[in-house]
Amino acid sequence: MNSFLKITGYTIRDQMRHKSFYVLLGLSILFVLMIRGCYGGQYIVNGKQLDNITVAWYVSKIVFQVIASGMFLIVILLSMKIFSRDHEDGSLVLFLSRPVFRRQYILGRIAGTWFLCLVFMFILHATIFLTVWVKTGATIPGYLTASLVCSINLLFIAVSVCFLSLYLPDFISAVFTVGILFVGYISDGGHQILNSEILKTVVPSAAASPPALWRILYPKVYMVQAYADSIIGQSSFNNMGPLHPILNVSFFIILITTLMLVVFNKKEI
Amino acid sequence: MIALNSVTKKFGTFTAVDNITYRIEKGEYFALLGPNGAGKTTVLRMLLDFIKPTSGSITIDGIPVSNPEARKRVGYLAEHHMIPSHLSGLEYLRRHASLIGLAGKNALMEVDRLLDVVSMKGREKEKSAAYSKGMKQRIGLAAALLGRPKLLILDEPVTGLDPIGIRDVRKILESLRDNGVTVFLNSHLLSEVEKTCQTLAIMNNGKILVKDSIRSIIEDDETLEDVFIKYTQKGK
Repeated sequence: MNSFLKITGYTIRDQMRHKSFYVLLGLSILFVLMIRGCYGGQYIVNGKQLDNITVAWYVSKIVFQVIASGMFLIVILLSMKIFSRDHEDGSLVLFLSRPVFRRQYILGRIAGTWFLCLVFMFILHATIFLTVWVKTGATIPGYLTASLVCSINLLFIAVSVCFLSLYLPDFISAVFTVGILFVGYISDGGHQILNSEILKTVVPSAAASPPALWRILYPKVYMVQAYADSIIGQSSFNNMGPLHPILNVSFFIILITTLMLVVFNKKEI
Repeated sequence: MIALNSVTKKFGTFTAVDNITYRIEKGEYFALLGPNGAGKTTVLRMLLDFIKPTSGSITIDGIPVSNPEARKRVGYLAEHHMIPSHLSGLEYLRRHASLIGLAGKNALMEVDRLLDVVSMKGREKEKSAAYSKGMKQRIGLAAALLGRPKLLILDEPVTGLDPIGIRDVRKILESLRDNGVTVFLNSHLLSEVEKTCQTLAIMNNGKILVKDSIRSIIEDDETLEDVFIKYTQKGK
């Protein structure tokens, strides 16, 4: 088997050895299951009572975004110590004293962490999907596909944190990545609000000016989530700029990974 | 087997290894000696491609060390051998075996054999966090011996070992020497080097001061310690 796949497997196994991983997963599932209480409530909007399916649909969409955003923190926590921990505990020497390319080591570590987070997020989203189905008998089309779409954000975050941790202390690289995400959320979220149908209806004069170039080129993590949201609702999606957010984030993943491979190849161990 | 050609390594303005050239032939049992800061560990790290030379080239079996293929039949034991604390000795050795392409029954048998060789049978399933320094060193030696390497690179292999452990390691290394394995040893224990090695080089301030067979270097009324002091104190 290729060394890349072996290291990916070791990474998954090593992360799953930690009890905290299962505690976190258990607590997350518990949180998600607690949401099901919302589906049976009585909700009246504009004098009309909403049926259970409509309520479940709206709640599920909100929880979808909460889970997708909450996963950012988990992937940051799992990625930020990859290099420093491997250096301290001898794993780096274990791998690189063997016929393993440095790129196989890096890509294996990142792929393993990403895959684990992807599965973690998918389990939570699938729990919501199944809960809605059991409670209301309805399925939410596109829900699980949207979960997979959002997983590209997790990969972007994993490579960003790892790359930054080559230069900065682990915690600072984590904070820096949160900063990158925060700026994107403000920039892209603002764009979404200004271009929303509700705002156009309420304030017809509120014409959004074209976004600055940096905002178009900035990593579109929020926009990927907005796109995933549009898959669930089969609603329209207001993109910013000509490039689809998935292509934008993919471009950054490739760029940062390439830089990381170049830097790590020269790194002294 | 190993060829260093005009190798220099600088860290900023400090020259750790200064234009050294030497060859170690197949089956040679070679020791690199020198005082602290002489540049021995830097040479060793360059052999494993952990750090890149500033200039010059290093090959193992004709393959540049930057190519991982060069490490296919190389075993390495670090001075303070570290094993991830969540792994047992057995899991650690299995990972090494897997990375060099040993799989299935062959890997199990080889790991089992080496656990016996390094006297760690019965303790292999314990987490490495519970191992003493000497036990980690033994597991590290077993990892280095996996896959019957053609070249062993050992950095202070007896560090942390008790006298029995030192004797055991010496016996293992002697049997490897007799089987034609090339050994590159970095050690401060001159008595051990004197007992086991065929050739040695003494290094100081990044330069090789002498490289020859032990018999040629040590004169009749001298010990290796005398020779070591003579070369490293020259000019002081």
